[in-house]
Amino acid sequence: MDLERFVRERRERWARLETLLSDVERLPSHALGVARLDELVRLYRQTCSDLSEARSLTANAELLGRLNALAGKGYRFIYRRAYGRRLIETVRRFFTDDVPATFSRERGVVLCASLAFLAGAIVGLGAVLRDARNGERLIPAEFFSESPRARVERIESGEERVDSLAKAGEFGAYLFSHNIQVAFLAFSLGAVTIVGGLWILFYNGVILGAIAGLYLLDGVHVFFLAWVGPHGALEIPAILFGGAAGLRLGRALLLPGDLTVATTIRRAFASVWRMLIAAALILIIAGLVEGSFSQFSAKTIPYALKIAAAVALLLALGVYLFRRPVRSVAEGPWAS
Amino acid sequence: MGELNARRGRVVVTPEHVEIVLEPAGLGNRFLALLVDFVLLVALAGVLAQISLLFLPLGIAGLVRGLTLLVLGWGYHVYFEIQHQGQSPGKRLFGLRVVDGRGLPLAIEQSFIRNAVRALDVLPLGYAVGALICLMDREHRRLGDIAADTLVVREPRHVAGDRRLTRERVFNSLRVPRVLRLVRHRVNLEEREFLATLCLRADALDAGARLDLMEEVAAFYRRRLEIDDIPFSGESFVRGLVSILFADRLPVQPRFSRS
Repeated sequence: MDLERFVRERRERWARLETLLSDVERLPSHALGVARLDELVRLYRQTCSDLSEARSLTANAELLGRLNALAGKGYRFIYRRAYGRRLIETVRRFFTDDVPATFSRERGVVLCASLAFLAGAIVGLGAVLRDARNGERLIPAEFFSESPRARVERIESGEERVDSLAKAGEFGAYLFSHNIQVAFLAFSLGAVTIVGGLWILFYNGVILGAIAGLYLLDGVHVFFLAWVGPHGALEIPAILFGGAAGLRLGRALLLPGDLTVATTIRRAFASVWRMLIAAALILIIAGLVEGSFSQFSAKTIPYALKIAAAVALLLALGVYLFRRPVRSVAEGPWAS
Repeated sequence: MGELNARRGRVVVTPEHVEIVLEPAGLGNRFLALLVDFVLLVALAGVLAQISLLFLPLGIAGLVRGLTLLVLGWGYHVYFEIQHQGQSPGKRLFGLRVVDGRGLPLAIEQSFIRNAVRALDVLPLGYAVGALICLMDREHRRLGDIAADTLVVREPRHVAGDRRLTRERVFNSLRVPRVLRLVRHRVNLEEREFLATLCLRADALDAGARLDLMEEVAAFYRRRLEIDDIPFSGESFVRGLVSILFADRLPVQPRFSRS
């Protein structure tokens, strides 16, 4: 077991591989050059065999650890995945093909998430319509400063809440940041527990249903629709999409069936990350609408127009996402 | 450290049929790296917010600030995980790296998912959920890592070999054919490593403990190697053993191994 000589003879090639690897990690792939890649691959293979040899020679933790790290680094570089398309083309295809195709393909989980939310909404609405006091029990106290009718009168008689671009921008930014957090939370809970994701969607449905019920009881439901509709038409679907993406990943993670988890979640990734990005982008638009358009009362924009805008937005979103894809989607290399 | 601890790590078999061990990083290192990244992130966001206030009208500035925070909060990690081989500045500082569960670089979707689940890992305060899961998980993954099948691994830095061991002892009455042959058959790789480490760390031990430990180990190997005729102290025995195990010259000459 001549470990000293083993190391002495090979030390230089290991050092060379190390420098080469740190060089190439900084370079774009077209600037690598054939000669350098050849050398890199050759050295990597030698290092791999050195690692095997060293394992039979010694249990020296330092040497093995270092060789292991070096071989791992080489492996990571050589077997990495190449990105073929250009950025602009990728972005364009993302919106024209990938996102609609993803949602068409995953309509099952979207339906599942929507049903959970809808069930919550019906429960919330029903509970409040049966007994208005249920509203106080279901809705967190901070939403309960005044009765719906009083609030509507205050808003309709006073100045517009959002009267400048500055306020609209700031308010909108706050709203979409917060909503994206909520969507990610719904996603995460769905992904790691499934049930938690369904529960948070259900719970949000209950709250919205209960609030709607209170406005309905007070006879100001038109105001409610015009107030919540324009951004809600985007915001609610987007949160559902976040939750649905979580359910999709959760199914792969917790119910992999005959395959290994590593395989099933890699198949899910292609759909899941597109749904997440789509949800975040929709929430940004929704936040901007909520920060400006939604805040205007009847003095500025008639409620009929606001409700029409809400319906139009919802329809547009539905048509964009759930029409049949024109051509098959480009999937990640892991997707089957 | 390294290989011995790495037994608990995940093993990836490369197409060359070499096993590479992914050694998971511990919670402490990860937390420190996160802290560094967090400070950098806050500083960066602050600077950008000030710049946007200087050059943009108020309303747009608010919007830009919101977008910046969003893009920074999510994009910072994604950018470094994709463009810098899984090393954010904090991770680089502490020798950590995010890799795919198969030892490859992260795909962009993994990075996105990993960082979206951060929303759950930070709850309810200061990454409590993430830390708890991380402590319970064998590979120290937080929920984001589990959902995206990623690992944060430790990258050992270059370590120079210690030559003190390989110097031969000049007089070593253990260097006799019978002992050499027995050593070859009865002391396996892990034990050799243990003996070497024991000698290297002997100076750091408390005198009493050092004596006890050396005597105990020596007694064990006296029995194992059937050496009862050499009246050494425990420590000389162990050091003699290590010296023949780690000598530059082969501990067992070929003529013995052929027999």
